[in-house]
Amino acid sequence: MARVASLQNIRMTPTAQSARLWEQLRTYLGRGSGAYAFFGLYAAICTWQLFTNPRTSLRTDIFFVLFLLLVFMVYRSATPLWFRGGLTAVLLVVVMPIFGTLNPFYIDVATQAGIFVALALGLNVVVGFAGLLDLGYVAFFAVGAYLWAILSTPQITQINPAWSPVPPIMFYPFVVLGLVIGAVFGILLGLPVLRLRGDYLAIVTLGFGEVIRVLANNLDRPINITNGSQGIREIERPPLILTNFIRETLGWNLSDSQLYQQFFYFVVLLIVIFTVVVVSRLKNSRIGRAWEAIREDETAAVAQGIPRVRMKLMAFAVGASFAGAMGVVFASKQLFINPPTFDLLRSINILAMVILGGMGSIPGSILGAVIVTLLDLQILPRMATVLRDAQRAGVPIPAAFDPTQYQRLLFGILLVLMMIFRPQGILPDERRSEELHAGDEPPSEEEAPPAARAAAESS
Amino acid sequence: MTSNILEARNVTKTFGGLVAVNDVTLTVEKGRIVSVIGPNGAGKTTFFNILTGIYKPDKGTVIFDGTSIAGNRPDIIAALGMRRTFQNIRLFDNMTVLENVLVGMHTHLHAPFWQIVTRAAGVRREEARARQKARELLAYVGLDEKRDDLAKNLPYGDQRRLEIARALAGQPKLILLDEPTAGMNPHETDAATELIRRLRDELGLTVVLIEHDMRLVMAISERITVLDYGTKIAEGDAAAIRSNPRVIEAYLGKGAAGAAA
Amino acid sequence: MAAEAKVTTSPQTGQRSLAEVLRTVFGPVGQMLLFVVGSAIALSLVVTLLALVQIGARPDLLVRTWTILPQVIIDGLVRGFLFATIALGYTMVYGVLEFINFAHGEIFMVGGVVGAAVALALAAAGFLAAVPGLLFVLLIIVLGMLVSGTLAVTVERVAYRPLRGAPRLVPLISAIGVSLVLQDVTRLIMTSTPLGFNARFNTPDFGSPIRLFEMNLGDRPVPVIISPKALIFVSAAVVMLVVLNYLVNATRLGKAIRATAQDRATASLMGINVNQIISLTFLIGGALGGAAGALFGMYVGTVNPYMGFIPGLKAFTAAVLGGIGNITGAMVGGIVLGFLEAFVASYLSLFTGGAFSGAAYADIAAFSILILILIFRPSGLLGEATTQKV
Ligand SMILES: Nc1ncnc2c1ncn2[C@@H]1O[C@H](COP(=O)(O)OP(=O)(O)O)[C@@H](O)[C@H]1O
Ligand SMILES: [Mg+2]
Repeated sequence: MARVASLQNIRMTPTAQSARLWEQLRTYLGRGSGAYAFFGLYAAICTWQLFTNPRTSLRTDIFFVLFLLLVFMVYRSATPLWFRGGLTAVLLVVVMPIFGTLNPFYIDVATQAGIFVALALGLNVVVGFAGLLDLGYVAFFAVGAYLWAILSTPQITQINPAWSPVPPIMFYPFVVLGLVIGAVFGILLGLPVLRLRGDYLAIVTLGFGEVIRVLANNLDRPINITNGSQGIREIERPPLILTNFIRETLGWNLSDSQLYQQFFYFVVLLIVIFTVVVVSRLKNSRIGRAWEAIREDETAAVAQGIPRVRMKLMAFAVGASFAGAMGVVFASKQLFINPPTFDLLRSINILAMVILGGMGSIPGSILGAVIVTLLDLQILPRMATVLRDAQRAGVPIPAAFDPTQYQRLLFGILLVLMMIFRPQGILPDERRSEELHAGDEPPSEEEAPPAARAAAESS
Repeated sequence: MTSNILEARNVTKTFGGLVAVNDVTLTVEKGRIVSVIGPNGAGKTTFFNILTGIYKPDKGTVIFDGTSIAGNRPDIIAALGMRRTFQNIRLFDNMTVLENVLVGMHTHLHAPFWQIVTRAAGVRREEARARQKARELLAYVGLDEKRDDLAKNLPYGDQRRLEIARALAGQPKLILLDEPTAGMNPHETDAATELIRRLRDELGLTVVLIEHDMRLVMAISERITVLDYGTKIAEGDAAAIRSNPRVIEAYLGKGAAGAAA
Repeated sequence: MAAEAKVTTSPQTGQRSLAEVLRTVFGPVGQMLLFVVGSAIALSLVVTLLALVQIGARPDLLVRTWTILPQVIIDGLVRGFLFATIALGYTMVYGVLEFINFAHGEIFMVGGVVGAAVALALAAAGFLAAVPGLLFVLLIIVLGMLVSGTLAVTVERVAYRPLRGAPRLVPLISAIGVSLVLQDVTRLIMTSTPLGFNARFNTPDFGSPIRLFEMNLGDRPVPVIISPKALIFVSAAVVMLVVLNYLVNATRLGKAIRATAQDRATASLMGINVNQIISLTFLIGGALGGAAGALFGMYVGTVNPYMGFIPGLKAFTAAVLGGIGNITGAMVGGIVLGFLEAFVASYLSLFTGGAFSGAAYADIAAFSILILILIFRPSGLLGEATTQKV
């Protein structure tokens, strides 16, 4: 809770006194018994509201957003690990799926949000950690998606009639394969462009993204590889698991499509957890520090012995690998993909998530991804209905103005405003000073020189 | 086998029509403090940039600790044990003081990717050891208290000391300091002089130093090389340089040499 | 700067002789025309060679290659001047601010929309057929320049100026945002007015296609024709480029721009109002982009809010190809890229027996060129290699 400070501060802009009050309240609710009570009550109310009123409506929208906010606040709170982990797990593994059985819309939003959390975290490695502005990131997502789409469907026979689609169960190894292929493509793109200066790199990656999309659009000739602009339909889903357990032992009578929703929700959740763990470990390692050093000052970084190209390639590969894996999941979940799914706007969308949350900040990217996905799937459509109603009531709004159709406008304004007023994002990357203080005593002045000498001599 | 840690021979570098470094030869014995001086624009920094691999020389050879390095990549040269500071301080501004030093240790940390991702015990141990060592180094230059400050928030003198600590973190055999006291007051300069001396006396490092503060140069260098318009015009110990007419001319202009002599 | 002034200014009066002015103005244009001829000849030779290589398998290939050649060259000319005029906006801004004005493609697009709006307004008033063709062209060029130039200046004030001095990527991201905003605001305006999303419009009659000459290939003569619109497009572009070169190379204002580009701090010490010069740079670049948009819209007869993106990207490629920051380079780069694209677009499917669609792969060719140039010669065709100072 304490760390959500920056987010709250923007909204509040309070006077000095109310600021202090707010500070106290936050500390009180952020740790100790106050926090248990606060989060417990909050969770109970949210859950009760979602379960009793699952119908899609503005009211449920609000509680759903509050629910996601709760998950995020618990995850960021200063409560003990057992409480933080336990409550987050209950909310994400129990409450959300049950709510999902009551209303399929919201769990789909949550799944989409999860997909974009992983993508934003991946792009954050490239843009936030290493400082390489990649405007073609969605290309790696496309590669993963097309990989599964082509190989799991009869599309494969178009390439060579002798080949046949892989069985749906291969979905699982293909998620891993997506990871690998994503990394390979990251390196393939990275090799030629990584020596370029920052702004050139941005334009070239944008060009690369466009090239991949154009290829997807045109590689239906001379050999039909991608099925061109028609896209690929009826992409395979892996066979359902635990159906008997859920239907018979638990007695929940869920349809196949509901079960698939649950399935993809959990797959995405797992990948997100995996991504968060990998990315935060990398960040706090020699590799993460090397990335940041390159971002801060490339010349000084190489003067410390950091192999610039290798490190940048690694950033590209890591970032791209998450996109590749998520691409496989996405294709399978959506059942249908076509080239416009992977256009520049999608790349910019993901970039907006990273920038909104705060470049280089892991919680920032998560928050940014969730906010942007909610905007996209929930808030804009809701605004559209509200505007429609207002229009009918006679408010002069141009008939052509449908907020869901104006994402470019929204994200464009968002990017400009963020750059001017808060380039560090709403949850900026923080230095990890608390961890550094913890435990170890500073070395005493007397013993330092010999130790340092030993350090220098051991080379 | 000589006891020279560095042998740069006939090094030349031009930018367009400008000959920034012209046929310069410099050899440095192990364990010495050597200064390179000369008026602004004489090519001193350019010479450092060639030694550290940031620029490729047009001509000439550089042998560092028995290895030929001219034209090698800067990170490879750094990994061989040559570290430097920059005239216009180049710290990693938005990283903490401690992290800056940890970055300097990069070539001595070997945790492979997969172990980092799985946070294997070895990685945790290596990381803890690195942090401990980094704090020892910070204590050595007197910055341990400020280890969690962002580098950009340090006062100027501390930034210069942090650059030295970061260079030391690479456990170098040779350290190149580009105007380490530029912009310091006399008190800070004395402290820096002391620190440089300790680098050699306590850590056994070889130091090559670009410096404008003649008091410092004369006090601590065992050899001095003078560059002017990219060319080496003199070389010798402090006394010899002090009385060399070409040096006086380069610094004070024509006529001054005659007056001084 | 000082040295240059000495060369080009006669010492007594400070005035330049007419010959000097002509040289500084037409020198770059001459260089560009050289590249026009050079590119056309070189690429014609390449396709001829490719046709000869395959002639064993496809005997009619050479004739077919030559039959479309003049048309491809004219197409290359149009594309070339299109990219050149847009590329100037990128390169001028880059020269002064070291910043890629990502939204420049949208400035171009707005020029096109203004042209369409003028045409539709005239048509609605029933005047369109009565307006002389050249007057119409002048009208849309001037209005396109006005609106796009003003817009470019406004964008700089609102979205770029507050970010001056920030890390390089910050203004670039802001520019991407501006680009998206301009696309959607234009779309909102277009779809809320009779223009519609895809505004098709008529122009006054410019006369019938001009028959240049006839080629005798195979059994029947092939006429070589150029449409009046293409002719207008190319001539207008040439005039604009000459005027721009005069402005930049032979006036005090141009000198101030060049001084600012070389060293902003020193320029401001010399009493140049740097902010004003930057605005002026955006005005000129934006106006050129707007004029190009208006002309291009008239040439193809339809505009839409997203039409600026791809030409913008390619013009940026052209600017890099010529050496970004270099005005002559932008023109040359535009020409070379335009020709290359026209040739790929027309000949790829011919040489691959229709297996690959040329139009789609022309885009890929353009981006590949961008990548190759940036890797192997980042200073571009006319730029000088520099070492970053450490
Ligand atoms: N990257 C570069 N490009 C062009 N000229 C340079 C570059 N680096 C240095 N110079 C020039 O080389 C000369 C020597 O510079 P430098 O080595 O920095 O001098 P010093 O460090 O002795 O003051 C100067 O005239 C400087 O302008
Ligand atoms: Mg220097």
